[in-house]
This record gives sequence, C-alpha cells and structure tokens, in this order.
Amino acid sequence: MPGLNTSLLTAMHALMAQQGGMDVTSNNIANANTSGYTRQVPVFQEAPTSQEGSLTYGNGVQLVRFQSVRDELLDLQVQQETSQNSGAGAQTNATQQIQPLLTTTGNDIGSQFSAFFGSISQLSTDPANLSLRTSVITDGQNLANSFHAAVSRLIQIQSGLNGSVVQDVGKINQLAQQIAGLNTELISLQAGGQDGGTVKDQQTELIRQLAELTDVSTIQTERGITVTTGNGTALVVGNQAFDLYTSAGSNGYQQVLSQGQDITASLSSGSLGGTLIVRDQMVPDILNQLDTLAYDFTNAFNATHAQGRDIAGNQGGDFFVPQSSTSGAATRISVMLTDPSAIAASTDGSAGGNGNLTQLLALQSSPLPSGQTPTDSYSTIVANVGTLAANAQAESDASALSLRQLTDQRSAVSGVSINEESVNLIRFQQAFEAAARVITTIDQLNQVALNMGASGGGF
Amino acid sequence: MRVNPNAVPDVLAAIQQVQQAQATALQQISTGRRVNLPSDDPAAAAALVQNHNRAAINDQYTQNATTVQGMMQAAESVLNSVVSEVSQAISIGVEGANGTLSAANRATLAEQVSGTLDSVVSQANTAYRGIHLFAGTDSTIVPFTASSSGYQYNGNSGVNSVAIGDGYSLAINIPGDEMFQQPGSDLMGSLQQLVGALQNGDTTAIGTATNQLRSALDYVTQQRAFYGNVASQINTQETFLQNESVNFKSEENSLVGVDLATAATNLSQAQAASQATMAAAARVLQQSLLDYLK
Repeated sequence: MPGLNTSLLTAMHALMAQQGGMDVTSNNIANANTSGYTRQVPVFQEAPTSQEGSLTYGNGVQLVRFQSVRDELLDLQVQQETSQNSGAGAQTNATQQIQPLLTTTGNDIGSQFSAFFGSISQLSTDPANLSLRTSVITDGQNLANSFHAAVSRLIQIQSGLNGSVVQDVGKINQLAQQIAGLNTELISLQAGGQDGGTVKDQQTELIRQLAELTDVSTIQTERGITVTTGNGTALVVGNQAFDLYTSAGSNGYQQVLSQGQDITASLSSGSLGGTLIVRDQMVPDILNQLDTLAYDFTNAFNATHAQGRDIAGNQGGDFFVPQSSTSGAATRISVMLTDPSAIAASTDGSAGGNGNLTQLLALQSSPLPSGQTPTDSYSTIVANVGTLAANAQAESDASALSLRQLTDQRSAVSGVSINEESVNLIRFQQAFEAAARVITTIDQLNQVALNMGASGGGF
Repeated sequence: MRVNPNAVPDVLAAIQQVQQAQATALQQISTGRRVNLPSDDPAAAAALVQNHNRAAINDQYTQNATTVQGMMQAAESVLNSVVSEVSQAISIGVEGANGTLSAANRATLAEQVSGTLDSVVSQANTAYRGIHLFAGTDSTIVPFTASSSGYQYNGNSGVNSVAIGDGYSLAINIPGDEMFQQPGSDLMGSLQQLVGALQNGDTTAIGTATNQLRSALDYVTQQRAFYGNVASQINTQETFLQNESVNFKSEENSLVGVDLATAATNLSQAQAASQATMAAAARVLQQSLLDYLK
C-alpha cells in the first residue's frame, strides 16, 4: 500500500516532468527564428508500476528525453535543392556580368563593325581623301579595341570566378571539419541514449551550408554521417574530414583536387559547381566564338585588302596584323596600317579609284568560313549569351521556388509555432499547478497525521 | 497536417516578387524598352544587332547619296556652262564662215573661240572638294594640260561606283577623255581646229570645224544627261532610304520597345498586387495566440 510519501514523490516527479516540458517549450520559443533549428518535444512515459499484493499502482510520470521533430528525407531534399539553387545563382550572377559587354550600346563589337564598314563606305565616295582614309584606320582600330574590351572583361570575370573557387574550397574544408567534429559528439551523445537533437540540428545546418557550395550526398552510418560530393568524393567519413585543395591547372586556372585526383569537372552544382561551369565552359565558349570571329574577319579582310592597290598604286599589304591561329585572335586583333595612303582602295592603282573598297564592303554581307557574315556571327554570340543568362535566371527562379516549398514543408514538420508553444506552455503550467496542488494537499494530510500523534491518541 | 508556422520567408518572397514586378514595369516605362539586356529576350537582342547594323548601313547610304548628289550637281553645272559656251562658239563659227568677214574680224572671233577653249579646259579641270570630276579615277591629278599637240589627258578611263542601296551602286563619273576628247566628237579638238581655221581665214575649214563642234556639242549634251539621271536616281533613292530609316526605327521599337499601354497596365497591376501583399502580410504576421492570452 503506497503511503503519502509515495504520492509526494509521484507529485514531485510530475513537477519535474512538467518543468521539463516548460523548459523545452521555452527553448523552442527562444529558437523560433534560429536557422536550422528543429522544434523539440518532451517525451513523457509512465513510470514503472509497483505491485503490492493484488494491487498495481502507478508511480507517476518520467521525462525520458527531448525529441527533435525532423523528417530526414525533407532535410535531404532541401540539401539537394539548395545545391541546385546556389549553382544557378552563381551562374546568374556571372552571366549578368557578361551581358553588358554584348548589349547594343554603340561601343559594342556589333556597332563597331557597322562604324568600320560605314567609314569604308564613306571613303568610297572620295577615295583619295586622307582624312577619310584616316577614319577607316581609326574605326578599324576601334573595332579591334571593342574585341579587346570584351575579351579583357571576360578574362577579368574569369579571374574573379577563379578566386571564388579557391574561397569556396576553403569554406568546404572548414565545414567538412566541423561536420566531422560533430559526428564524434553525436555518437557519444547517442551512446548515452540522448537524441542529440541540437547537435544534429547544427550538423544538418552545416551540411545545408555545404550544399550551397557543392552538391553533396549523405549516408547515415554507425560512425555518424558520411558526406561525399555528388560524384562520390569523400568529404567526411566518421570523425575524419578529407580536405579538398586547389592547384593551378594547364589552363592557368585553379583546379579542385581530392587526394591527388582532379575532380573539377565532376562538380556541377552548388556555387562552386556553378562558378566552375561559367569559368570553364561558358566564358571559354564565348571567348572562342569571339576568337573565331576575329580570326576569320582578319583573314578575310586582309585577303581582300591585298588584292587592291594603295594611293601610290602599290599592291595592298595587310590591313590588320595577320593572325596565325584562332586561339587568342580576339586579343591580338589590331590594325597594322599606320599610313592612311597605304589603304588599298583601288583596283586600278589610281589614287581616286574605289574598286577595292567595293570588294571590302562586300565582306559585310559575305559569309566568313563559319558560314555567317560578321554581323550575323556577332548577333549569334549575343543570342547565345542572352540565352545562357536567361536560362540561368529561369533555373535560379525555379529552384528558388521549389526550395521555398521544401523549406515550407520542412518548417511544417520542424518549425516552431508560437501559437502551439503558447498552448503547450498553458498545458504544462496547468499540470505543474495541479502537481503543486497535490503536494500542498499531501502536506496538509501529513500535518493532519502529525497532529493526530501530537494530540495523544484519543481514539 | 501541421501547417508551416513560419510565414515570414513566404511573405518576404511574396513582397520581393511584387517589388520585382514593379521595378520591371517601372524600368520598362522609364527606358521605353522591353529588352534592356540580352537575357530579357535573346532572339530580340540578336535581331537588334542586325537592325542596328542595317540602320547604320542605311544611314551610310544616305550620306553617300548626299555626297554623290553634290558631285553630280557640280558636274552638271560644269557641263551646262560648257554647253552654253560651246553653243556660242558654234554661232561664232557660223559667223566666221561668212566670206565677207575681214581678216581682223576673224582674228577677233578666233580670240573669242580661243577664250572658250580655255574656259572649257578650265571647266573640265574642275575639282569638287578636291576630286577632279573628269579625271577618271585618277581624281587627284589635273586631267587636262596644254601640250605641243593640243590638250593632253592625264587622267584614266576608270569609273567609280558608289553604293547607295543594298546591291544598288551607281557609276558616278565619266572619264574626261570620253567626255571632251571622244574620237569623232572631240570637243577640245574641234574648238582648237576652229581657232586655227578662224586664224587662217579658211572658210571651208571653219565650216568643217563648226560642224565637228556641233556633233561634239550634241555628244556632250547627251553625256550631260548621265549626271542628271544619276542625280534623279539619287533623289528617288533618298526618299526610299528615309522610309527605310523610319522602318528600321519602327522595327527596333517592335523588337525591343515596350508597348506603353501594356507597361502602364503592368505597373498599376504590380502596384495593386504590392498593396494587397503588404496588407495581407501585415495581417498574417500580426496574428498570434499571445494577443488573446492575458
């Protein structure tokens, strides 16, 4: 038969349990705005019963642990979408920087092509005019300069991206080490029967940050979480983090390596992946298109120019500095002629003939070896860059939307609701008050019992 | 199912979205353009490159037409004055062929015709903005200079063509020898002969020279029509080029310009959406059970 003291003990456990409930509620409310925080609930359990004769009676409540409410599948999806989103974001930022170069402003390559051919056309009305001849040279150099400006801006953007690669790799290593450290902590907590929710929250948040940098996959093992890149390069195994490092590659840019293996090409999402795509694929592709245009145009123009005769009747020389290879042609393109009278305007060798200018003007509408006229080639580059930027933007918008939906879903499971916590607070408060009342009552009963003894036992 | 308790990210995203829509509408209205960067419409941005290029070419054709028109007018005016002077020389020749004229009178006439010859040569050497109009493509040199055997042509037989439209080029000169020293219609030669015949008082030779001069004048008059034709072709083409220029502007506008009515509607829609979102956000974020618990 349990005595008053047993009841007192039961009430005390109840007080402690409700107190724990209030603690966890308070902690939830405090972390309502903490990124990555997972709400916790107290797990109550009936205390083991006692048996006395035929009577089984309860021993109140036990607060077993605080349980974090999480859906690991959602966490995983959030990670993946985070990688997609920040990859698209990195591409969007970079392509937005590229676009102004190729916007029709008057100084862009397309406008300079028009201006160059315009001054040749004007010269055809007065071929012996030295100031018009000088304009052709000036506009030729302006055209070359517009190529240089585009190339140097692209290379500047590429170098900036190269810097980001090194920074991103540094951040990845830092995060991997923190995640590995938390693995150790988590295992010792879980060995002690604890949920380790807070540590798990920290780790999940760190993995999410890692996913912003590169795509990761995670596997839960008995040694904690194993984190690898999307293609399986280990970043964290148990309590060990595997550093990535960078080293200048044959293209002069930093390559990402893991244990001696170059994994640069396999990194496709996250801000690192997005940055690498722009640095190693998009920008080189645009540069290559500009090089091809500069190379083909230089050759075509020089070939036609050489067929004409200059103001003194001499065979035309190279108008542009001759190019021997496509690679770097847009950087090297430059006007070779300095003497305006050396422009080979005529075919008959007379000072005022414009026969060859007509041939040069025809280049404006003749296909280069690429199959397109100079202006068509340039407008194709504009369309390509516009499409890249528009696609990156669209992917960024789309992944932002699904990331928000996933975050909403995750928040629906794990997010702290102030309203819910307020209700819980009232619930625990009431239970606490009731348990306190039980203690008061038992105390009064004890007083009665004690007084019974003091009055000398008159029964 | 538990509802997402944290509406803040969604509210922020919604606010950002309506602000973006407002900013886009405002930018379109203020710039008058729908396409400000290639990514706004890659195909339109590429077409704009072509449009600008063709518009620039068109402007250059217009400029060429104006320059050539000036040359044509200069050449035509030279030829007008040549024609009128040579017509007078023919009258002088007719007068000089009259047998009753004294030698002194003929000498005076010879001087007059000689003056005409000098004037014709000087006119044939006219330079328009430094371009000798009748030197072929050797336009930097003086085409006709006096020599022991009359007037020597220093130019060449080259003809320049200038483009004033796509695939539309006009020859803009007639070489001086073809104009003034055409065999059979040799204007300068005939004038020279007339001077000689007048000086010699040979009425038969005066008559022959005068007849040659007539046919040379007919020829030059015919050739003069060339310049008039070019000038009128250019006039027609200038009108066409002006229309084209307007077309290119309107094409540019339809490629990248914004329809103001649509843009204004978009802006007011975006403003309405913004107000609605703000109002909704204010409501959603205020609601809390704590407001009711005392």
